[in-house]
Amino acid sequence: MAHVVQPLDQPSNYKDSQTRIDRKRQNEMLANSTTLYIGNLSFFTTEEQIYELFSKCANAADGGGIKRIIMGLDRNTRTPCGFCFVEYYTHAEALASMRYVSGTKLDERIIRCDLDLGYREGRQFGRGKSGGQVRDEHRQDYDPGRGGWGAQAQRLEVERRRAVEERYADAQDGPGAVASGGEDWKEIETTQGRLKRGRSPEDEGDSDRMGRRTKIEEVEIDRM
Amino acid sequence: MSYNRHYRGGRRHYRDDEDDRRRDIVESPQERLKLAIIKLGEVDPYQEIAAVETHIRGLAPPDIYNLSESFHIGVTEQPYKIPFYAALLRLLHNNPPTDGESIIADGNSLGKQILEEFWKGFQAYVDKLMWRETRFCIHFFAHLVSAQIISPESFAALLQSFITVLDEFGVSHGRAKRAALCAAEGLMIAGAVLSSSKPTFPNEVVTSIQTYTETTNSGKWIVQPVVRLHSPNVEVENADELLDTAINALKALESAGFEGPYPRPYSGYPPLDISSFTPFSLPSVLVPPEVIELEGLSTEAEESEIKRQEWPEYFLRLFGDDVTPDPNTPAGYAVRNDLLAMIDVFEVNRKEAARLLLEYPKWVVSGTFKPRPGAPPPDEPLVNYNWQLESTLLETILGASLILPQSTQVQIYYDGLITEVCKISPSTVGPAVGKSIRKLYSSLTDGLDVEIERRFSEWFAIHMSNFNFQWVWKEWIPDLDLAIQHPKRAFMRTAVEYEIRLSYYDRIVKSLPEAMHTPEAHILPKQTPGPDFMYDDPSKPHHDAAQSILNLFRGRAKAEDVISHLDSLRNTLESDITESENVDSLVRIITTQSLLHIGSRSFSHLLNAIERYLPLLRTIASGGMTASAGAGTAEAKADILSAAALFWKYNPQMVAIVFDKLMQYQIVDPTDVVSWTFLHVSEVDESEADLKAPLNLSAFEWNLLKAALDKAIGRVNSARRKLAMLRKEDDDNRARAKARGGNMDVDGETKPDEPIPENVALASALKAFSSLTREQKTALSRTLEGFVSCLAPSPTSLHPNPKAREILTEHSWHNRANWGKEEWNAWETWGWYRHFCRAYSPYLRNYATTLMAVSFARFEGQSDPAAILLQKMWDVSIGQE
Repeated sequence: MAHVVQPLDQPSNYKDSQTRIDRKRQNEMLANSTTLYIGNLSFFTTEEQIYELFSKCANAADGGGIKRIIMGLDRNTRTPCGFCFVEYYTHAEALASMRYVSGTKLDERIIRCDLDLGYREGRQFGRGKSGGQVRDEHRQDYDPGRGGWGAQAQRLEVERRRAVEERYADAQDGPGAVASGGEDWKEIETTQGRLKRGRSPEDEGDSDRMGRRTKIEEVEIDRM
Repeated sequence: MSYNRHYRGGRRHYRDDEDDRRRDIVESPQERLKLAIIKLGEVDPYQEIAAVETHIRGLAPPDIYNLSESFHIGVTEQPYKIPFYAALLRLLHNNPPTDGESIIADGNSLGKQILEEFWKGFQAYVDKLMWRETRFCIHFFAHLVSAQIISPESFAALLQSFITVLDEFGVSHGRAKRAALCAAEGLMIAGAVLSSSKPTFPNEVVTSIQTYTETTNSGKWIVQPVVRLHSPNVEVENADELLDTAINALKALESAGFEGPYPRPYSGYPPLDISSFTPFSLPSVLVPPEVIELEGLSTEAEESEIKRQEWPEYFLRLFGDDVTPDPNTPAGYAVRNDLLAMIDVFEVNRKEAARLLLEYPKWVVSGTFKPRPGAPPPDEPLVNYNWQLESTLLETILGASLILPQSTQVQIYYDGLITEVCKISPSTVGPAVGKSIRKLYSSLTDGLDVEIERRFSEWFAIHMSNFNFQWVWKEWIPDLDLAIQHPKRAFMRTAVEYEIRLSYYDRIVKSLPEAMHTPEAHILPKQTPGPDFMYDDPSKPHHDAAQSILNLFRGRAKAEDVISHLDSLRNTLESDITESENVDSLVRIITTQSLLHIGSRSFSHLLNAIERYLPLLRTIASGGMTASAGAGTAEAKADILSAAALFWKYNPQMVAIVFDKLMQYQIVDPTDVVSWTFLHVSEVDESEADLKAPLNLSAFEWNLLKAALDKAIGRVNSARRKLAMLRKEDDDNRARAKARGGNMDVDGETKPDEPIPENVALASALKAFSSLTREQKTALSRTLEGFVSCLAPSPTSLHPNPKAREILTEHSWHNRANWGKEEWNAWETWGWYRHFCRAYSPYLRNYATTLMAVSFARFEGQSDPAAILLQKMWDVSIGQE
């Protein structure tokens, strides 16, 4: 129905300045993307609040659901800095969020969603000079939900801040720092009684061809 | 408005920049003309028709294809403009005025050429069964019949071919409904002309549709928005079924000589000269059968996609006939129909949808809606209904979102649409929202369906989250005297819980009056929704055991090392437990709780904890035997689920999240979650035990069941897609191999087909599909069993609800003011069973025979009222009544 109104599920023309993927490939990836970038979050908003809102677009009966949420953190302080990635299992769910959730409020702020190329290592950290997001470097207004401009946040939010500040103190970087959220269902060998080395996400599906294929794809994506 | 102050306050967003750029694309004259046609009437529909006509005639030579496409877009994407497009096409049937006179229609006018081209597009919609487009084109043709452009006989024949669909053997409700609406609405618009050319026709259409709807009574019973457990009749007061409203509107029109409620801008044009003008005769069409219905006949039937089951559609009425249109009247039906169409068409952009909905009054005859405050009343209103636009919008949007068992679009779209309508005009829409909430709330006492109640509480929370959580809770304080499980109190509890999930505890507490803060009010959760680690307190038993495991986790010990530690721990614990305790079970609970404790900071922490210790979880899920997945024992998996539910007993959202991920990581199966919900949920919180036992289902338990069933169904769907893809790949490969083989066949020797290597991926996909299908069946079967044992408990049942049978009488229902906790518990559980049957009916049908044998066999020959009702709801849902 794009003749009369512009659909809301189009990706913006944001360009990840650190990606080395060419524009054409990027567009292809966006056309199948299951990941959303979420912006203008309050620093105090939790993953569970995000989960609650974005689960409204999840479609489990179609093989979907929320795969994982990656909270954007200040590079230096390891505290949330107002953005995150929400990854679904299906593209349709990401589109639904663009249509129905982007531009509505979460935690009393209007949030913005954008289709994303997908999480890659390191993208959970802010890229601003001071560790947070670039947008907060230049901000002129007073925004209590994003650290104000002084330390005079509201009383309630001071309480919430304490929890928030401790929450990600253990955040790691490097490979494997971020969980996958669980892969699609797969056939499992049921070898009773044998205590074999546990399966970890790295060696999933090592017994069948399909599994190998997925793995190759992953390697390709990582390389890019 | 405060809602976008921050947003607009900073630098401009690139999103906005891009939108601007998109609008500046350089257009060709044909494209500009197309746009002018699409935008017809945005300022003044009546004035602009002639201007657009001039624009069309001014661009020579005419591009008939472009013109027809423009009309198609206009008609199918902006159905409220259809009368004006008909008027425009009527004008284009005139010969261009040459000497400023002689405006006569011509057999080969521009309009005629466009219509011929337009017809081809319509034929394509019908062939592809694009019902929405088909229906709007029929509206367009109906107006053209009224404008004398199309012959009434050919149009009647067209409607007849849709009526024929109703007589098809085993026609699905969705197909019959769409066909009936095409015929009914075509007749509503063109009735006056049609009945003068064929007086018996209107009555034939009405009779056919009515004959069809009489067969839908049992379907109506299972989806009517109020629950009447005592009555097999369809008793709906504040809601209207879609096809019924169409029939009623048609009857009213017929008796009024089809004096229709539609704008007819062409009615003032000079009549066409019949001696020189032959109206367009619509060629005959055949409505092709549904593709999916044919697929059912193919050999791989069980692999074909399960089609959504459609039911009669009840739309709730929230306001009186003087405030919002009654859809049983012609004018009311027309307004409702337009608004529903707009809600569906503009689903891609809820903000534009909201704007267009608020502008809707300009497309209807004056006097339909009350003028906006401050706006001058129309000079000579044609009608004086003076309906209230905002209330009408709310009633229509909510009506569409509360359709059972499932709304057309996802729930959150309707929620978001209401938010946008409010944002555009808060002062006028706000009160309509408030009244809608109060009306829905008050109908909770009268048996409003539990699924409607659930969606209502979700919408309420989402809405409040967008509007500063401002609700006048204090007007509901008197309802705190009702029984604790009364639907009104249950609603308040869930609404507050959902608000807290979207916000945080302290914020929501602040929004409630003091009277709702007390524990006796049972509105707020007993404490902030944090974790509850059973072994946290050093004075608690097994604190040391838990600490020893926690230390390993904190030190990032390998899963194997934790597993061997558990072995020694088991020996230690064995000596300090009583005989009634099971040491394996205890170890599982301590381990799971400790792992969740490590992962309790956030959703991501949970995922990291689970992922790091998958082998450990698998070992304990298998009862300590093995770390390979899929080998779990039911008892061990139930312990893991219990430990998780206990850990998050103050945070139901986290229970659902943990269960979901335990299924995702294949620690437990959907069936385990279903079984656990029916068997163990009541054991979770001892202080709540008196709320839970005897077992009943509330929204929380239903959500757990639904998540498990949907997970099982989703896996089958994914596996089906994968299988279809591999099959196609395989077929292609075989075809290629065959082609190669053909080429080698040069010396005339007939070689046997080259053996094609077995396709390993395909074989394993087939295996996966069949095992997932089995799991899906088990999950459904276990759910049915669970409901049956709750609602028709055998005398030996563990927690029989004594009221499950008692509340089924009419006398009991009328006495519901005196119902206590257990009666309402039983009532709600019945409601979820009813919803389970109709929501999962397409899947239940597939396994009907086995499931019935398992669950209903024990009632054979009994006259237990509960058993009879269970069976009836089941039969109706699977289409056996």
